[in-house]
Amino acid sequence: MKKTYLIHDIVWIGFAFLVCLGGLKLGFGSFKQPQAGFMPFLSGLLLGLLALADLISGVAGRWKHEKTDREIWPSIHRGKLFFTLALLFIYTLLFNTLGFIIATIPLLFFLYRLMEPRPWWVALIASVVTTGLFYLGFKVGLDSQLPPGILGF
Amino acid sequence: MELLNYLYLGFSVALQPINLFYCFLGVLIGTLVGVLPGLGPVAAMSLLLPATFHTSPVASIIMLSGIYYGAMYGGSTTSILVNIPGEAASVMTCLDGYQMARQGRAGPALGISAFGSFFAGTIGIVGMLLISIPLVNFALKFGPPEYFSLMVLGLMVLTFLTSASMLRALMMASFGLIVGTIGLDNISGLARFTFNIPELLDGVGLVPVVMGLFGISEVMLNIELKIKREVFTTEIKGLLPTLDDWRRSIGPLLRGTVLGFFLGILPGGGAVIASFVSYAVEKRVSERPEEFGKGAIEGVAAPEAANNSAAQGAFIPLLTLGIPSNVVMAMLLGALIIHGVTPGPLLLAQHPDLFWGVVASMYVGNAMLLVLNLPLIGMWVQLLRVPYSILFPLIILFCLIGAYSINNSSTDVLIMLVFGIIGYLMKKLSLEAAPMVLAFVLGPMMETALRQSLIKSKGSFSIFFTRPISATCLIIAIALMVLPLLPWLRRPGAALEHKEVA
Repeated sequence: MKKTYLIHDIVWIGFAFLVCLGGLKLGFGSFKQPQAGFMPFLSGLLLGLLALADLISGVAGRWKHEKTDREIWPSIHRGKLFFTLALLFIYTLLFNTLGFIIATIPLLFFLYRLMEPRPWWVALIASVVTTGLFYLGFKVGLDSQLPPGILGF
Repeated sequence: MELLNYLYLGFSVALQPINLFYCFLGVLIGTLVGVLPGLGPVAAMSLLLPATFHTSPVASIIMLSGIYYGAMYGGSTTSILVNIPGEAASVMTCLDGYQMARQGRAGPALGISAFGSFFAGTIGIVGMLLISIPLVNFALKFGPPEYFSLMVLGLMVLTFLTSASMLRALMMASFGLIVGTIGLDNISGLARFTFNIPELLDGVGLVPVVMGLFGISEVMLNIELKIKREVFTTEIKGLLPTLDDWRRSIGPLLRGTVLGFFLGILPGGGAVIASFVSYAVEKRVSERPEEFGKGAIEGVAAPEAANNSAAQGAFIPLLTLGIPSNVVMAMLLGALIIHGVTPGPLLLAQHPDLFWGVVASMYVGNAMLLVLNLPLIGMWVQLLRVPYSILFPLIILFCLIGAYSINNSSTDVLIMLVFGIIGYLMKKLSLEAAPMVLAFVLGPMMETALRQSLIKSKGSFSIFFTRPISATCLIIAIALMVLPLLPWLRRPGAALEHKEVA
């Protein structure tokens, strides 16, 4: 029995249960007059039943050919992955306040140094140039709305 | 005669300088993302969708379509030279294309791939011209039950063909349906699963979802695995295939084109399935099946022709019925809706310039691709040498700007990151994102059609089985659902036979 797949199915069943409850709360209506909760309830029910079927097939030993937990979660570079995600969430939270240019330069600086050990000044120059090019391309060229932030542009 | 008039209209639109420019831009970007592993046409289209807001709907769709069929061309280059498919539809080209390259025949492999793609793309466009008008007339007879059943069939075909586990593919489709219900209810106007977040009232955007599932998740996987790419160092010469190559390839090209085109039209089908099926067919009909996998030119010609004609065929259900047959078409559906154009049977009457302009632009785009892919092959090979450590921050930045600039909303960026994590976990568990995205796009349309049908029939599900088109679609869908169960049902018997033999 593979733990990851077991957790996966249990999570889906729990999620489906919550969706069904949400659907009922919105109002199922009837087959003659389906209401707003009709589709969420049916989709949630379908998801729950399918996840349950997957779980039963796993218990019955049909996950033999699936990847092992170790194959799914190789422990290489996981720190880099979490660091990138944390960077992206912080960037998203500060993006509007700081503005595109101020927020993007440090983001790119860390990302450029993440995979390969580059001298800090190379990463810094690359980050400034890339941010400038993206700003020119999107803001000036395509007139995209990017947050001006504290710089005001 | 009528067809020639439409064709004239199409070319007069496609050959306008601005549309030519966007067509060129589309096929150039398409080739680029096809060449670069890790960034497929779906991610590229979602990245560039916000950039098309300032253009006309025709120019926008011409460019996005160019990215799609351009990626089919570009994908073959990496398959042949690096043994890494630039995008999923080029997987089969790796088998024989890379072997040809190892035998010093990279040139003819690239050549037949480009010429075959052009040939198939051209025939695919002729097919579009011939099939679209009859299909539009047929689609005008469709009511809510037919639309619902057709969408169910599309989802079933996709889940049946694209995943090792149909059960899990269906789970992903159900998840897509649930995500599709977020926002205001189309009929009652009630807010669903919005958690008092105003940005969710319009529902979850397609672009943040797709960018997260295909762009961010891919980056996350690559950071974890740290991929290494080795370009096969061979001199690429003699791109023109020999007479013998042509003689061996003409049959596979024709079969691949026809097969690919019809598999492309099929709801849930598309370029990936077309290339797999055409390769299998060629191996079966070949007089030298033992050469497949060892550098047979037929193994390059057939899948390349099939994936390109399928790319053209896939436009038919979208433009005539308003139903996307795969994720790429779902992206185009989103683009059309953003530009205020509703695809479907009335598109041909209401926006003939868009319909025929896009069709004609594909022909122009195919010619551009031939020029881009053969003389400039050296440049594309150089691009393969760009280290991933430089590429991935740029992909991330494209995603961040793309998701933000649609509604100028940080919520969309957060949604993209959340779906990036979901996509990463899905890839880890070998769960398919395609059924999820297609169900997410089709979900609101399916819900409306289902509820309208049930209201019309006073709650009776027989409405879906008493109307011939709807019944046919549902019967096929049910058959597809039952098919995978058959070996499972037979398994105890098989085990018994095995035991008896032992």
